[in-house]
Amino acid sequence: MRHECAPYAGMTRALFSFDGFRRGARDGVPLAVSIFAYGVGFGLVAAQAGFGVGKAVATSAAIYSGSAQLAAVNLLQTGEATLWALFATILVINARYLLFGAALQPWLWSAGPLRAYGSLLLLGDANWLMTMRRIRTGEEDRAYLAGTGAPITVGWLAGTALGAGAVSVLPRPEALGFDLMLACFATGMMTAMVKVRADLLPVVVGAVTALVVAHLFGPAPAIIAAGLAGAGVAAMVHR
Amino acid sequence: MTESFPVLLAVMAAAAFLCRVAGFTLMRFVPVSPRVEAALRATPLAVMAGITALAVQSGGLAEGLALGSVVGLTLVLRSDVAAALLGVFVVAALRWAGV
Repeated sequence: MRHECAPYAGMTRALFSFDGFRRGARDGVPLAVSIFAYGVGFGLVAAQAGFGVGKAVATSAAIYSGSAQLAAVNLLQTGEATLWALFATILVINARYLLFGAALQPWLWSAGPLRAYGSLLLLGDANWLMTMRRIRTGEEDRAYLAGTGAPITVGWLAGTALGAGAVSVLPRPEALGFDLMLACFATGMMTAMVKVRADLLPVVVGAVTALVVAHLFGPAPAIIAAGLAGAGVAAMVHR
Repeated sequence: MTESFPVLLAVMAAAAFLCRVAGFTLMRFVPVSPRVEAALRATPLAVMAGITALAVQSGGLAEGLALGSVVGLTLVLRSDVAAALLGVFVVAALRWAGV
């Protein structure tokens, strides 16, 4: 067993209530709108790669990560993909989830293993950002994360089905600006989370690191590099 | 590639699942000192800044203006969600106008 560290965990389990789930679900609805549009985008790509609606939706349910799925479908389309290549591709694209999980751990673990790991199944970029922001402003209810995941799951699967099924009649999500939705949420939440001058340090470090790493190695490792650099600098200057 | 779709799906799902739980599980064995806590608190800010920076860089004027307006709108409206949705509207309008 690990040594429990205050203030995150005591002897009793943390709050995990329907009230918190509902609060998360309400906050997740605007995110789900963007995820729905992203799902339509994935469905379109999957349909062009010869996936039917059933296969496309099964993929979205099993992997539950748009960027990893797009990379996997691209790889499958080459016809030369091995199982290892497929496995490695998803591992690399989703490496940022290692960081997401680590950052959530002290808060989420105190809900107990079943609830914690169950909630992780519903973890995505958007609701991780949303949940980390709410933790900072004092969210105590660990069901909040699963709550944010509920509407997002519905949006993701429904969007995938629509995109794969109605490929010929839909407008491209870019025309409506939906491709920029995650970036808009990230920008807004970042602005709201910067409370003191010291908060600007990880912002600057993250932005610069992402640009440099993307320039040198491409966009896949840029986000995790930004997170690690921001965390490293924050640890170094902490006193 | 000769494997059936369920096998492909299982391999892909396993990789995605591993990423979801591995960082979380490893962190259970790291004592959360104030220094580690400072690092974890900085992580989302750095990730969000990274996402924003990449979107501005890979986009154009419309994307830059829209994300800039999200910063301003968040400060004015005091609601990041409303600002984000308006940002999407801004970029759609700018693209429609040909920016």
